[in-house]
Amino acid sequence: MKIVLIGNPNVGKSLIFNQLTGLGVEVSNYPGTTVELQRGNTCFQREIIEIVDLPGVYSLEGNSEEEDLARRFLEQEDVDAVVVVASATRLERNLYLLLQVAEYGLPMVVVLNMVDEAAKRGLEIDPGPLHDLLGVEVLLTAASQGLNIDRIIPAALTASRPAKIEIPYDHHIEAAIRSLGKIFGVDRKESLRALQGFGDSPELLEAARTIADEIESRHRMTVAQIIAANRHNFARSLAELTVKEKHPPAGTDPDSILTRFIPGMPILVAILVGMLLFVFVVGSFLEEAIVEVFEVYAIQPFLALGLHPLLEEVGASILLALQAGLGIALPYVFLFYIIISILEDSGYMTRAAFLADNAMHRLGMHGGAVIPITLAFGCNVPAIMSTRLLHSRRERIIASILVTMVPCSARTVIIAGIVAGFVGLAAAFSVYAIVFVLIILTGLLLSRVVPGERFGMIMEMAPLRRPVPRLVMKKAWSRLSEFLFIAMPLLLLGSVVLGLLEFFGVMTVFEGIVEPYTMGLLGLPGYSATALIFGILRKEMAFETLAILAGTADLGAVLSSLQVYVFAVVTVLFVPCLATITVLLREVGSRITFAITVYTVALGLLIGGFIHHLFS
Amino acid sequence: MLPSMVEDYLEAILEIAENSGRPPTVEEIAAALKTGKETASSTIAALAREGYLEQVGDAVRLTEKGAALASKVARKHTVLQCFLTEMLGIDTNSASREACTLEHGISDDTIERLSSYMSGTATMPGRMRRRRGQETVTLLDCNEGDIARVALMRGPGGHRRLLDLGVFPGEIVEIRRKLPNNSVVVRVKGCDIAISPEIARSIFVESCP
Repeated sequence: MKIVLIGNPNVGKSLIFNQLTGLGVEVSNYPGTTVELQRGNTCFQREIIEIVDLPGVYSLEGNSEEEDLARRFLEQEDVDAVVVVASATRLERNLYLLLQVAEYGLPMVVVLNMVDEAAKRGLEIDPGPLHDLLGVEVLLTAASQGLNIDRIIPAALTASRPAKIEIPYDHHIEAAIRSLGKIFGVDRKESLRALQGFGDSPELLEAARTIADEIESRHRMTVAQIIAANRHNFARSLAELTVKEKHPPAGTDPDSILTRFIPGMPILVAILVGMLLFVFVVGSFLEEAIVEVFEVYAIQPFLALGLHPLLEEVGASILLALQAGLGIALPYVFLFYIIISILEDSGYMTRAAFLADNAMHRLGMHGGAVIPITLAFGCNVPAIMSTRLLHSRRERIIASILVTMVPCSARTVIIAGIVAGFVGLAAAFSVYAIVFVLIILTGLLLSRVVPGERFGMIMEMAPLRRPVPRLVMKKAWSRLSEFLFIAMPLLLLGSVVLGLLEFFGVMTVFEGIVEPYTMGLLGLPGYSATALIFGILRKEMAFETLAILAGTADLGAVLSSLQVYVFAVVTVLFVPCLATITVLLREVGSRITFAITVYTVALGLLIGGFIHHLFS
Repeated sequence: MLPSMVEDYLEAILEIAENSGRPPTVEEIAAALKTGKETASSTIAALAREGYLEQVGDAVRLTEKGAALASKVARKHTVLQCFLTEMLGIDTNSASREACTLEHGISDDTIERLSSYMSGTATMPGRMRRRRGQETVTLLDCNEGDIARVALMRGPGGHRRLLDLGVFPGEIVEIRRKLPNNSVVVRVKGCDIAISPEIARSIFVESCP
């Protein structure tokens, strides 16, 4: 048995899926995160039932990746029952999708979720008319309280049937449906799709195109517009039968503060800066504690074993990688993702996207790009994955390039550890300033040179709501696991390679070769080049490596302030780490990845050299 | 006498006078209205008594009152005929015939709206301001709190996502927020939709009462 969940974004669909299967899927409060399908199994009356959670969509005839996926799934897969999840608070708009699903003629059940929220807003929901008109089971649920969730599976298994409703379209459209049906033997749904340019048969599409042109010339509206209008108007009539507004709720709208330019902008900036400061302070506190624990309980006992030198080198490298990875992953990245998940689940992220839309336009993207850019402060890997929510390849390329330049938590460690420690706090912030200026300049440049279509933002503002702690943690964890399972293995590998190279003395030879160049260009000793190179494998290790190679953790004793500063700037700008490169290859392809690598190396050396020659 | 009859007579007199450049005779009027001479002359006499016409010898001339009503009806006829032929694609003869029937029942307000709809220069009452030198009003010309009806949407693919979110020609939207940089939030079907300036610019609207 296979049951499919479909619904608009922000209707609590993923929460229902979670409760049905108990599997950890990502629940998100802005459109576009769950581009991949979520599958889970549950057992009902000794039968295994597969439940599939389709991404949140507004329509089955759109051209976004999620909508395409949902459409293909309903058409091609063997589906036993479709559970249409609609929000009782926004029923009219949700019914639009429901009507499209109904046209597919698959056995279905309707779930009107968030009835608790609707009751709070003074809406009275009567499922009777909908049940009578559609001829299918209509359940009222409140997923946040678990109300009636247990009735979904039994209803889907025993009571799901095709909806009997037919949307009345404009008479020209109806005539076109009849003609196409007569000539090509296609059904209502296929005719409608063909009129809008979807379908497989070229003859059908051509005939439909001719009829559509004729209709469009008479209506001054495109066929898609007419069909959408008919559906929306029908949805309105259904919604009016179902929802009675008893007493409109009083109270202020938080959006009157959040989305106004003033004070919305200052609030946005305060939230971002506050987030960075919080992660900085709490993260460094936790980091010290974790590193200390590792040092005392893992590394020192291991070194005390007195193993063969080669084994000891490999083992120590692994332990060091674990220490650094967990020391950073847990405190910085995890804290960061908790805060971002709160921002998303509360619905604030869509407000941030709206406010930042104009600024992002100048950088060649639209407001939605705020999400990957903010994520990048935690770790670039999930940030690059989230660029998928941007519509065009052009925007995805620009976002990927800028994301790799954002100082992630590993680079924050370098800035905090080296620059703040040995040069000063003001200098540390100046590194951030340099990086931000470069990001903006790069964006301005890219928005002019990257070819491709420009799309603006059309984004539904997610309703503001109180985040559920359990869901926030689940989502933060799922992002963290992207870091742990993609980035960590590469970090381990890098660490071992570094240890082995050092063991066999390759380093010394290499340093001798590059020393003249690094001295001339950046004013840095040869061993710093080694540290930079290994920064590619693991960014935060550049610091450690430098300390080890310099022979002392007190870098101030062996390097001048300027050298420390230049080293930090170059490391922060220099080449994204190995994990980021891997994800870039997957998301934007080898050409762009190569370009990003060359660009960041050149930029790092250029800016580093510039600072060196300016101040020495 | 039926108002439609009065209007038909005055319109015919105006039309003949404009075509020939001189006041028409009773025969000419009767021929234009396809009616008998006796009927025509008695009706004309009645119209003269009501102050729409004056008879100078054989010729019939419109008074100021008659001319005003006649030109109003003629305008209604022209607008309707234009609508029927240009927009609905009805052939000229049938359109003219139908316009003759419709012109009597249609209100002045509807004719004005129809006319401005066809010329695409809808006049915007209310708080909505128009940009100088720009004939059309888009979402960007609205202010916060305005309620507007979507008239036309241009742009690549007609902005499919907007259609699916419920923004389509004919739908009423409320402008919830407009930033100084022209990003807008509209409320439609109880949901708030954030729209970039370049997309808002391609959505043409008219105000609704």
